[in-house]
Amino acid sequence: MRSNRACWGLLIFIGFYLPFVVVLLGAFAEPWPRWAAFFSSPVFLRALAFSLAQAVVSAAGSLLVALPGAYFLGNYSFPGKRLVRSLLVIPFVLPGILVVLGLIVFYGRNGTLNGWLETLGAGFRFTGLYGWPGIILAHILYNFPLGVRAISESWEGLDPAYREASSVLGAHRWQTFCRVTLPLLLPAVTYSFLMAFVYSFLSFTVVLVLGGLRFRTFEVLIYTVLNKRLDFSAARMFAAAQFALLAGLLLITHRLSRSLRHGLQVVRHLPGLSWRQSKLGMLGFLNYLVLIGIFFGGPLAGILGRSFRERGLPDTPLTLANYRALLEPGFHYLAGKDFWIITGVSLLLALTAGLVCTALAYWGARRESSLSSDRWDLLAQAPLGVSFLTFTLGVYTLAGQWLPPLAQVFWAQVFLGFPLVYARLRLAREELGDELLEAAAVLGADPRRRWRDIEWPLLRPALGTGFAYATALALGDLSAVLVLGEGQVTTLPVAIYRLIGQYRFPQALALGTVFVLCATLLFLGIEVWARMDWRRKGATKDA
Amino acid sequence: MLKVADLVRDYPEFRLQAGFTVGEGEFFSLLGPSGCGKTTLLRLISGLERPENGRIILNEQDVTDLPPSRRRIGLVFQDYALFPHMTVEENVGYGLAVQNVPVTERNKRIRRLLEQFEIGQLARREVGQLSGGERQRVALARALAPEPLVVLLDEPFSALDYGLRRRLREELRLLQRRIGFTAVFVTHHQEDALALSDRLAVMANGRILQVGSPKEVYERPESLEVAGLLGEANLLPGRVEESTEAEVRVMLGNVELVGIPGGKERLTVGQPVWVLVRPEGWTIHETGLVARVVGWEYLGHSTVYLVEGGAWSGRVLAGNGEEVVAVGQEVRLAIRPGQARVFARED
Repeated sequence: MRSNRACWGLLIFIGFYLPFVVVLLGAFAEPWPRWAAFFSSPVFLRALAFSLAQAVVSAAGSLLVALPGAYFLGNYSFPGKRLVRSLLVIPFVLPGILVVLGLIVFYGRNGTLNGWLETLGAGFRFTGLYGWPGIILAHILYNFPLGVRAISESWEGLDPAYREASSVLGAHRWQTFCRVTLPLLLPAVTYSFLMAFVYSFLSFTVVLVLGGLRFRTFEVLIYTVLNKRLDFSAARMFAAAQFALLAGLLLITHRLSRSLRHGLQVVRHLPGLSWRQSKLGMLGFLNYLVLIGIFFGGPLAGILGRSFRERGLPDTPLTLANYRALLEPGFHYLAGKDFWIITGVSLLLALTAGLVCTALAYWGARRESSLSSDRWDLLAQAPLGVSFLTFTLGVYTLAGQWLPPLAQVFWAQVFLGFPLVYARLRLAREELGDELLEAAAVLGADPRRRWRDIEWPLLRPALGTGFAYATALALGDLSAVLVLGEGQVTTLPVAIYRLIGQYRFPQALALGTVFVLCATLLFLGIEVWARMDWRRKGATKDA
Repeated sequence: MLKVADLVRDYPEFRLQAGFTVGEGEFFSLLGPSGCGKTTLLRLISGLERPENGRIILNEQDVTDLPPSRRRIGLVFQDYALFPHMTVEENVGYGLAVQNVPVTERNKRIRRLLEQFEIGQLARREVGQLSGGERQRVALARALAPEPLVVLLDEPFSALDYGLRRRLREELRLLQRRIGFTAVFVTHHQEDALALSDRLAVMANGRILQVGSPKEVYERPESLEVAGLLGEANLLPGRVEESTEAEVRVMLGNVELVGIPGGKERLTVGQPVWVLVRPEGWTIHETGLVARVVGWEYLGHSTVYLVEGGAWSGRVLAGNGEEVVAVGQEVRLAIRPGQARVFARED
């Protein structure tokens, strides 16, 4: 048992922490004058100013968009609420390149929005996609669902007795809101703001494509100095500076998320949201849904819709030409590989990385640990919470010389989903508890049988979800393949990135749709497998 | 028969040390406050934890080193631990399935048990759809299905409200008598222990303080600790006037009381002592100890008077047919014969 634990610990240290440690140690070994020059360099100062400013604006914007949604979700029950909740996890697994593609389709020069503006005779066009507005829009799209989730859960968990006590003591509704509800929601609001800030600060794909040469985050700079100049020393310094800036924030967000989890104690019965009961509320809610649907759902739906239009433009005849173009010889030169190879490699790589990631996380989640689960969660999230680019840089430093690019990409992708999957499985294992396994033991089941009859069937849904997340994250990964693939590994996101770079939007849209199709089928397949009732089969077999 | 011999389990701030014997078909309870080690004792007997020392003998066989799966012990968990992904009959049949009991025999036994427990109609139900009472019956049937030598029950009523608790308690006792299984029942609820047990052990701080029938332990506690753990106790300070093996005369101020020695050691004349009287051990009389009524609690079938008698205060139970005493009124209290027990007191 102990050697098992040590073995897992060693594997996680080497695979997960060592790349990170190598980068940081390398950075700290740089001579002091170089650091001084680095800190005063215009590149660093510009990146710092831009990263901070866009992250603050993105976080504030995300919060503004999230608050109304959180209010409706946290204070009313309505049909389809569970579906809305589960849709909110999509951004976790939405590849950046797809978001960018969607934004181009919707907010670009020939985008849907400009089409509407023209129809309405507005007399102006939206041209800010490649720059601040586009970057902020993308970040809000990515981060507002997290805020809706966190704040609505907190709102839902607020004991109505506090509000009732306040009104019995003579407070008006707005006084109660300002003095009771808002302070109690503050941890969730702060958490949502900080998480949106951190994610926007760490933004890579969105800024890489939409930022051009003018706007670059640290992540983009790490990639650029590596890719264009092979300047490892500068890449390490950017990574270390970013780590120093974000480590403290990560600790605060972790503390906040812990207090949020402990705060959720009350399960209250929420009033229904219906036209009859509250016309104003219903109107507000419908407005919110429509606006979110148009401005954030529109881009994603746009990818699918436009992929079937001639040259990917609106108001053109329906066609399959964009899909046919994926199979033509020209596609090989644009994307770097044939369509089938790209799709096959992407799926195979993602499935294998997802499987290994889930297996590793499950192995860890089963272990008895002397550390509290909170600390483990923090430890497991630490490296990637700070930067995935730093991690890939570390993998390259450690294995660039002797591991083939595909294996390096695989290494990085295995750990891309690890924190999320590990947290999910650890929670599922904690919820399962020991009692059912002990009950089986007392009834005569040996360890193998206990695993087969109790642990496996009860943890399978969580394992399925974990596997689906890990696979989806690996499938959508762009940074690891760009940094470690050395041009030899081409996956769907890389192909889409290359197509966008060469302004081949019709093919990019078709490939984006193929990506969505693959991801959806994968997700559905895994979910169906995880929730299938295998028990009856087992019972029949026993009988 | 279950014999627990000098079992020891050490924790950083706690040592469990216990020994007792449970006869065949007996209902034996372990009663004690939370954290006294009773659940640990149950886990040691079932094999879910290993002792540092001592032996566990089950029907003449030493099972101390056997894993739980080979001990032939049934365990009913606090919240039943029914497998949520199995139906009622799959839960009940699980122990038989893992022992590879042939299907026909297994089904026969499951059916018999479900009928015995009057839950035959629930066989195909998911456990999530069961009521509290039904869950208890399924848990008990599951524990009994592999025909264990003893069934351990870990506070199975702890999460239930008073009414359900009483109903399930009666049901459990009836089932145990009908089927005749040997049971070790853990509880911190004295009413459960008194109502159910053939014999019970009172535990505190990892040790067993006294073992006996409920009547014995309640009426003849061997220490003040046991008396305090089992029922209410009024303690009156006094000094020994005369002491024999069967009787002790104690002076409380200028009133003389006669009691039975409580502890095992002989009390000496002049020794400071506590006289223990249960609330129902008093009568309100014309002679006896003088006390003033400072409050009362009406309980429906009786009334409890809160009284103060100078160096002591306590509770006196009176039937509702008796004369009503007003707050502030002075009363004289006499002790019913055999209802006072005398224990040594550190001065």
